[in-house]
Parts: sequence; C-alpha cells; structure tokens
Amino acid sequence: VPEVADPIVRTVDIEAAPEAVFAYFVDATRLDRWLTVGATLDPRAGGVCVQHHAAADPERGPFAMQGTFLEVDPPRRVVFTWGFTDPEVGVPPGSTVVEVTLTPTGAGTRVTLLHRDLPAAAADEHAAGWTEMLGRLVRAVEERA
Amino acid sequence: VQAVLDAVAEPRRREILRLVRADELPAGAIAAHFADVSRPTVSQHLRVLVDAGLLVERRAGTRRLYRTRPEGFASVRAFLDEFWGERLAVLKAEVESEEGTRRARGG
Repeated sequence: VPEVADPIVRTVDIEAAPEAVFAYFVDATRLDRWLTVGATLDPRAGGVCVQHHAAADPERGPFAMQGTFLEVDPPRRVVFTWGFTDPEVGVPPGSTVVEVTLTPTGAGTRVTLLHRDLPAAAADEHAAGWTEMLGRLVRAVEERA
Repeated sequence: VQAVLDAVAEPRRREILRLVRADELPAGAIAAHFADVSRPTVSQHLRVLVDAGLLVERRAGTRRLYRTRPEGFASVRAFLDEFWGERLAVLKAEVESEEGTRRARGG
C-alpha cells in the first residue's frame, strides 16, 4: 500500500453567496473560467467529473482528470475523486479525493478545498509519475499566467 | 521547484528515476539500460538529477552509485499546494466579477 501524504488544505473568502460560488464547481461553463479547458460534469453522487487541464507541451495537449462526484450537496459541499487514466501520471482514477466545503460568512462565502489521499511523493513507487503530473499542472498554470 | 520540474521534463531522466527508486545502481548499469543514448549523455542526465536534488550520488571505490532522493520531491508537493491556491484566487476574481455585474444590473 503506497504511503499517503497529509492532505493539502486551502481556503479563500469570496464576496458572493454560496449558491453563486457552488455553480463554479458543478457548471462546466463556469469551471472553465478558473480551472479547466473543457469539462464533462454530472453533478450528483456517482456522476462523472471529467476535467480537461491545459498543458503547455503541444505534443501532450490537454490532459484529462477522470473523476467521479461522491457528494453533491448544494450550496454547501461538493466532493469528487481526482485521478488520471494515463498510468505514467501514477495517480489512478479514484485514488485521491478533493473535498470542497462552502461556509456562509458575513460578507459572502468561505471556500475550503481539501485534497486528500495523495501519494506521499517522498516515499511511494509513483514518485516519478506524481512529479510528472505536477509538472503538467505547473506548466498549465504558467501558461495562463 | 523549477530545477525539479526541468529535471523531470526529460523522459529519459524520468526513466532513470524509475530505475533507481528501489535499487541503488552504478552509473554503468544505468547507462547500459539506454542502448540508444551515449554514456556522456547519460552522465549529463545524472548530473542534472543530482543538481536538482532528486538523486543521491555515492562513491564506492572507482564506482559512482545512484539512488532516488525522496526528499527532493517535497518542493513539488508544495507546488500543488500553490496550484490550488492560485486556482482559488482566480475563482474568487471570477465569482466576484460576475456578482458585481449582476448587482450593477440590479439583479
């Protein structure tokens, strides 16, 4: 069993109602504005959550995150699996989970994103593939910077 | 972080990381694995990986032995953390921009 790393946790406060924020996780048009270059979303438990992420390398093209929605509880919580069919990435579909929790605040919404069950890059057999995926992610981010 | 990403951008360097993740191997054995790559080129790849902190080099007599340095990948994990942070910042800008437009319209 590969060693599992501590989850990544990020929060951001947004001046908008939870309902407005929630749409940005489950509506493909809105997801494209901040995370993807195309997505196929069926936002209900067991529904598909395919996210295409940009890659700077033209030979690679976008790479597909093949996820499944585990929980969809508007406007409070959305949980989906995060993984890749490309075995070189080393993060198989279903192997990691992204949990998004929306909490109303006085001014709007606090978004808490938790990415758990990540392979411990430090120790597990997928270190090289994990690094490959992160390399693609950073190139995707930089391409749009 | 950039040194790590540059180091793993080359497919043969990723192959080297796979070769030595479980077993420490001498340079000669690593070079022998790549029939189509010259020995100096393999040495160059090993140098890049060592400089990026992804490989540990150890001398035993006249041989140089290499193995993966797991701690070298920690900075990349930090980058995924940054990735989500940056994406959420874009999310904030997008949602607030749409909300501003909606409010301006009186919606």
